[in-house]
Amino acid sequence: MLRTALGAAVGLALSASMALAQAFPDKAINLMVAYPPGGSTDIGARIVAGIAEKIIGQPIVVVNKGGAGGQVGWTDLTRQKPDGYNIGFVNLPATNTVILDKDRQAIFDENSFTPIINQVLDPGVVWVAANSPFKTLKDLVTAAKAKPGELKAATTGILSDDHLAILMLEEAEPGVKFRLVHLVGGAAQMKETLGGNVDVSFDNVGSIVTQVKAGQVRALAVMDDVRSKFFPDVPTTKELGYPKVISSSTRGIAGPKGMDPKVVAKLAETFKKAMEDPEHQKKMDDVGLAVKIMTGDEYKKYFADIHAQAKKYTEWAKARPQK
Amino acid sequence: MKRGWIVASLVLLGLCGLTVWQSALLPQIDDLGPGPGFFPLWLALLGLVLSALLIVETARMPAAPAAETLIPDKAATFRILAVIVMLAASAAVLEPLGWRLTALLLTAILLPALGARSLLVIVPFCLAASFGVFHVFYYWLKVPLPIGTFGI
Amino acid sequence: MDTLDHLLAGLAAAMSLQNLLFALAGCILGTLVGVLPGVGPAAGTAILIPLTFKLDPAGAIIMLSAIYYGAMYGGTITSVLLNVPGEAASVITCIDGFQMARQGRGGAALGIAAIGSFIGGTIAVLALVVVAAPLAALALKFGPPEFFALMLFGLCLVTGLAGRSLIAGILMTTIGLLISLIGIDPVRGAPRFTFGMPELYDGLGFIPVVMGLFGVGEILATAEKPYREIIKTNLKDVLPTGAEWKASVGPIIRGTGLGFFLGLIPGVGAIIPTFMSYIMEKRISKTPERFGNGAIEGVAGPETANNSYANASMLPLLTLGIPSSPTIAVLMGAFIINGLTPGPFLFAEKPLLVWTIIASFFVGNVMLLILNLPLVGLWAKILEVPYQYVCVGTLLFCLIGAYSINSSVFDIWVMLGFGVIGYLLRKLDFPLAPAILGLILGPQLEKSLRTSLEMSAGSFWIFINRPITLVLLVLSAVVLAVAALNLAPNQIREASDD
Repeated sequence: MLRTALGAAVGLALSASMALAQAFPDKAINLMVAYPPGGSTDIGARIVAGIAEKIIGQPIVVVNKGGAGGQVGWTDLTRQKPDGYNIGFVNLPATNTVILDKDRQAIFDENSFTPIINQVLDPGVVWVAANSPFKTLKDLVTAAKAKPGELKAATTGILSDDHLAILMLEEAEPGVKFRLVHLVGGAAQMKETLGGNVDVSFDNVGSIVTQVKAGQVRALAVMDDVRSKFFPDVPTTKELGYPKVISSSTRGIAGPKGMDPKVVAKLAETFKKAMEDPEHQKKMDDVGLAVKIMTGDEYKKYFADIHAQAKKYTEWAKARPQK
Repeated sequence: MKRGWIVASLVLLGLCGLTVWQSALLPQIDDLGPGPGFFPLWLALLGLVLSALLIVETARMPAAPAAETLIPDKAATFRILAVIVMLAASAAVLEPLGWRLTALLLTAILLPALGARSLLVIVPFCLAASFGVFHVFYYWLKVPLPIGTFGI
Repeated sequence: MDTLDHLLAGLAAAMSLQNLLFALAGCILGTLVGVLPGVGPAAGTAILIPLTFKLDPAGAIIMLSAIYYGAMYGGTITSVLLNVPGEAASVITCIDGFQMARQGRGGAALGIAAIGSFIGGTIAVLALVVVAAPLAALALKFGPPEFFALMLFGLCLVTGLAGRSLIAGILMTTIGLLISLIGIDPVRGAPRFTFGMPELYDGLGFIPVVMGLFGVGEILATAEKPYREIIKTNLKDVLPTGAEWKASVGPIIRGTGLGFFLGLIPGVGAIIPTFMSYIMEKRISKTPERFGNGAIEGVAGPETANNSYANASMLPLLTLGIPSSPTIAVLMGAFIINGLTPGPFLFAEKPLLVWTIIASFFVGNVMLLILNLPLVGLWAKILEVPYQYVCVGTLLFCLIGAYSINSSVFDIWVMLGFGVIGYLLRKLDFPLAPAILGLILGPQLEKSLRTSLEMSAGSFWIFINRPITLVLLVLSAVVLAVAALNLAPNQIREASDD
């Protein structure tokens, strides 16, 4: 008797969850962005949301929950019900460093998310002003070795992916030690580099595409294993003999942990279709963001790999002396 | 007024004291110069000195003749508390109830509490503030005002 | 001569019916964005970008720029009439603008703001045409050490903001600075004074704080003492009187210059020029006691500086491709989406387009003036609404404004807390403006000091061997010395009284 009741209950729950997946979505979906409007995550989100809502048949509302370098938004995301109506962008490795930096006391961890689909992979890039004496990455490394701790290298923030990337280069080429200058964001970096206040900057391809085209700045190397489609002439770090200096900023969609796999599949399928749409591809190209679609196990594995890599360099970054 | 200034200065004195204590726990100096505790500590010390000076300065001021009373009368206190309480209540229920219900409650209670009497004005005002505002912001301006658990 | 030809061709293109309509639509939308809380210039422009996808590049940029200027002006309207700053740059306008409105001169305050904005904006555009590229390159030399010195100079000026007690003024600045230190510190990148709340990691939000201090504080003050008499503003009062005109000429000229030069330096932000203009006007005024009680100079100067800044800040974008504020960064995104690459090559490759856009700034300024002067009387009618509705309406404004910046209920609590504080300080007549200046300058001061020291590996010589920095530091010392000298005789007299 008990068994039948239990069976019935399980059956009911199963069919309810199936009905849920079938009916999903029957109302608007909130797509959280952990940064204020106007940033590149926000622009990408608005482009994909506009296309995906036509496919899925319900409005997809971009909700900006900025603050604390994304921590406020991700805290909020992981607290939501895992029903698929509240999903949001996670930015790797920013999400990871927020988790890994113990000072930040994040109340979520790498297992608090259900990765759904990745949208953008923006590789790291080493760049200098056009009038800089450094023409290649080799020039830069040689000069840095000759004057350890004197070449000023700009990041876009403490524990940003660019900060970690500098450490990767220092590790791969012993004897290289930069003087780290932490600036706030890509615009400040552009200003100080063009103004000659720093010697070299580490940022992402998407932030400098227009300036490279205009001939104001020179990209020395892209920190990826394949060349960027925006800079076909710029060598990769892998080509230059640094196969471990691989850094990027990726933006993908995730939900809170414990989401129904059917809902995840439905969302992944919808967003995949939207991201493959030529309109999406063109608009993302225009703003210099390289689309890289990853779903399912591939995206989960990528998430885990980045977390492991970020762990190592975050600990190092916290311990590295300033001088 | 004079007493008010002294009380305010005392409060600031206390706050600065707390900050001095808290910032003394942070590193004062690091490899490159001032550490995270440097500015808080010295600013709080400055604040401590200034609030003490302000107390002295105020105490030596001649008392204003027939000083204006600082405590509002009963009706005024009610109106002030009504605004504060309703704003706090709105903050508390905004996400569970959604903008439309919250704004409806806020306006429907606060307007009469402040002395509005004409239903002909109050009702349209409440509806415009809740459903009207939501429609304009959510659908036209794409500002996502919250939708509550009841789906509105 | 070449430049002039280009400008004239650009002007002709900007005056085409289609482009005029885009500018008009942008000005109207922008004014709305400025008036509506929570949709600041940056968010407003970002949200409206998709609207422009269908337009040709010139039309799209003209419309978005017009939205930007319109928003800058729209923020003034709520500052003057409701004491709620519609966007951050009009905070300082609340101080004297709202007092003017209470005295029935709200029309004149809005009028002089529109006229000052027009003059400041137009002169900035003209200056942009003449000096464009070389100045922008020079402004890049303004690195973190110079920035630090500039912020320090701004802080020293605060002695000019104090009300009846200099000690209280400096104390409130210190409190503002202390509050600004809440958040992630620039040294370790670790939270400080945040009690483990991620909502505090970026510090207290500036908008919720000022909406609380001014908007909610004002609502509470009105709830205590409702003004029974209705404030009538006649339409003919929209234009400033002769005396008001005379008082405004100087502030407008100085505001234009100040806004223009600060606009060339990326990263200054729109608030600092307005504060500096206000302090400067108060300092050089023969009757500084009028400031805070409805001095028209306190509206004319900052509003002019604001618009002059807004126009000049397009220069680093057009010539170097560097956005100087979040709003400009959004505009830059719009340029790129529309297939234009801001930077030196834009002038060379598409001169007609660039000059059309520059000319459209001028057209937009004219349009805002035409649009706003007649509307001023209409806006001022808000003051004739019974106080309950104004109170509750303003409260709704503040609620949306505080919430929608980050979709954060936390920000509403911050606003409420500072609303109560603002009300109490207002009752005590404690000076508010110095605290806000401290709040703005604090994070920039600490960050630019830290960045400078990162550049110099900890050596303070970096502040001495850079000429601009040295000059600014010497100026700061002079300002402090003068203030100390002014203070000294009082102390001596007080002492001899004993």
